[in-house]
Amino acid sequence: MSVARSRQSEPTGRALLKGLAFASPFIIGFLVLYLWPILASGYYSLTDFSLFKAPKWVGLANYERMISDAKFWKSLYNTLFFTFVGVPVDIAISIAGAHILNQKLKGQPLWRALVYLPSIVPAVAAGFLWRWLLNAQYGFVNEILRWFRIPQPNWLLDASWGGISVIVLMLWTVGGTMLIYLAALKNVPQELYEAAELDGAGPLRRFWHITWPMISPVTLFQVIVLIIAFLQVFTQPFVLSKDPGLGTQTATGPGDSMLSYSIYLFQNGFTFLKMGYASAMAWVLLFVTLGITLLILWSAKKWVFYDNR
Amino acid sequence: MERKAQARAAHAAMSTALGAVMMFGAVAGAYAQDKTEITFSYLWGGAEGAALEQIITDFNASQDKIVVKGVSSPDMTKQLASMSSAKGAFDISDNFASNIASWSNQGILLPLDEFGLDTSDFPESIMKQLVVDGTLYSVPIATHNFQLVYNKKLLDEAGVTPPTSMAELADAIKKLTKVDAEGNVTQLGLGLTDISAGLKTLGYAHGGDWNRDGKPTPTDPGFVEGVKFYFDNVVAPVTPAAYNKFVAGFGPYMSDQDSFKQGKIAMVFEGEWRSKFNTEAGMDWGVVPVPGKTPELNGSTWADVSTLFIPTNTPNKEAAGEFLKYLISPPAMEKFSHVLANLPGRLSLVDSATYDDLPNFKVWLDALKNPNTHGLPPALYMAEYNADLASAFDSVLQGAQTPEAALQAVADRTGSYSQ
Repeated sequence: MSVARSRQSEPTGRALLKGLAFASPFIIGFLVLYLWPILASGYYSLTDFSLFKAPKWVGLANYERMISDAKFWKSLYNTLFFTFVGVPVDIAISIAGAHILNQKLKGQPLWRALVYLPSIVPAVAAGFLWRWLLNAQYGFVNEILRWFRIPQPNWLLDASWGGISVIVLMLWTVGGTMLIYLAALKNVPQELYEAAELDGAGPLRRFWHITWPMISPVTLFQVIVLIIAFLQVFTQPFVLSKDPGLGTQTATGPGDSMLSYSIYLFQNGFTFLKMGYASAMAWVLLFVTLGITLLILWSAKKWVFYDNR
Repeated sequence: MERKAQARAAHAAMSTALGAVMMFGAVAGAYAQDKTEITFSYLWGGAEGAALEQIITDFNASQDKIVVKGVSSPDMTKQLASMSSAKGAFDISDNFASNIASWSNQGILLPLDEFGLDTSDFPESIMKQLVVDGTLYSVPIATHNFQLVYNKKLLDEAGVTPPTSMAELADAIKKLTKVDAEGNVTQLGLGLTDISAGLKTLGYAHGGDWNRDGKPTPTDPGFVEGVKFYFDNVVAPVTPAAYNKFVAGFGPYMSDQDSFKQGKIAMVFEGEWRSKFNTEAGMDWGVVPVPGKTPELNGSTWADVSTLFIPTNTPNKEAAGEFLKYLISPPAMEKFSHVLANLPGRLSLVDSATYDDLPNFKVWLDALKNPNTHGLPPALYMAEYNADLASAFDSVLQGAQTPEAALQAVADRTGSYSQ
């Protein structure tokens, strides 16, 4: 009996080893490049650490310091502003754009490619381009506003417009989300629209009662992905705030309006050499992201429709 | 028979060639073993980088023990990361004086005292920034200070003579600032191409100091007065909104769209490197020492330093030390600073005729000997303090806060700085 069992288990054990060997690139990569840094940053967040000296245990002091750090709150406020204004606008533009792309237009593949084009432009290059487009004196955006006699804001040097400029740059890559919505729209059964039309439903009612519920799983996914991207925003405000003519190196924009959470985290870690504080900030960002995501997942029961249920 | 002879000849030729290759390899190997190769990673690029490469070539040709390999790497974060490992990517590098205290405190800079460098020729305002707790951690390759540079053509048109007192400066700003019928600024009397450097200079000119006795002093009365001077005389008369709208149109610094070159600003606090740029740009320009609030404060400015250091994690201390000595030797320093139109870090070079071909350079050179040229004390908090000051200055220029309130906000944060 025992001989038979060992004969059976031998190939299973070998198969397991083989499996592990094949999976080892991922397992090692995950352990070394993800799990270890995550655990290490948790430990460092409880220490006074500068990258160069041995960490010194300070308990929760780094977390306590955040409470009285005005720049921490400013960076958190800015980031939440980018997120809660930027994500709904991104979703709205994407859905509207996807509807337009879903029409039977001439040269449809070309239009689809064009809306996706900005997404393949590197964020730094796009940032430099937009810095000129948004220039208050010579920028193309203000030139257009001037044609329509609309007041032209000082996008990059006015504290009340700095955050909006970051959102504008973030929205430039809305094409990616738009194409995902386009795929979602194509999956909505046409007979639902036909039935609604027979019942006399107009375009708005058709959207609200058919399209919106049917694409809601995609919306849930997009909202979570976009929120994570907006909460981690770094490149766009970093490039926009580096004004070429002023010789400033603040990377925080007018009135610190472009100081994103990630930029302040980076400054603490690599400029001020406060890696312990930066690690604590990273954990707070994780919990903020987790909290918002869980809230959205909880609310999803009320607004996300799965047709297989 | 003939074929055999041919084969023997071919065999002999191959053997000879193989032997020659082996001998060459052996000689080259022995040659390489004798020489220590070190890497000099520098933040400069372009013309500055090319000047350094020439000095490296001169050094390599001047001796046969050390081979220096130059690498242009302008990324400071990468520079820091390299110093965090057991063996770094370079043996010698450069940075600015403001980072020396913090980096030496982290133990990543090698104390230079063991190399027996003669520092008696370096200006006191410079040395003050490089010695931390009595230990020398860095040496100057070039220095910088700020003076009042002006556009001669614009001053002549407005009938203004270069100001020599704070009252004259205020008057000149008024006469040189132009606003069109719609309230848009078309020319600023006094501009800032580097907000922090300009406002700090004005603080010194008012008898203030933003760092006294190694402590951050953002609310120092003279310093606050300097910032207030700029706001009251430049920003407030045209309104902050009009000021910032005009400034938004400034092109990249020291490019064809440079605000001073374009005549958008008539006067500016600038460093000595402007001498070369302004001249090459074909400008009609001049420079005077920074006017002071009182005659005793005339010529008040502050010195910044481009420094050289050796990281602790270099395995080639001795060779790096030798190259460091060469770089700060009078001939190499003179050559380097002249090409870049930077100030030398040695007092013995102040009167050198080498700099005579750089127009107006003497005003900056003379400041090296001026007691009103301030040096910053080595302090751990400099990076954080500078970032907070930059935010405060911006807040003032936006018209969002008064100079007093903005600088008080910085003072409130200094408690959390590394001391």
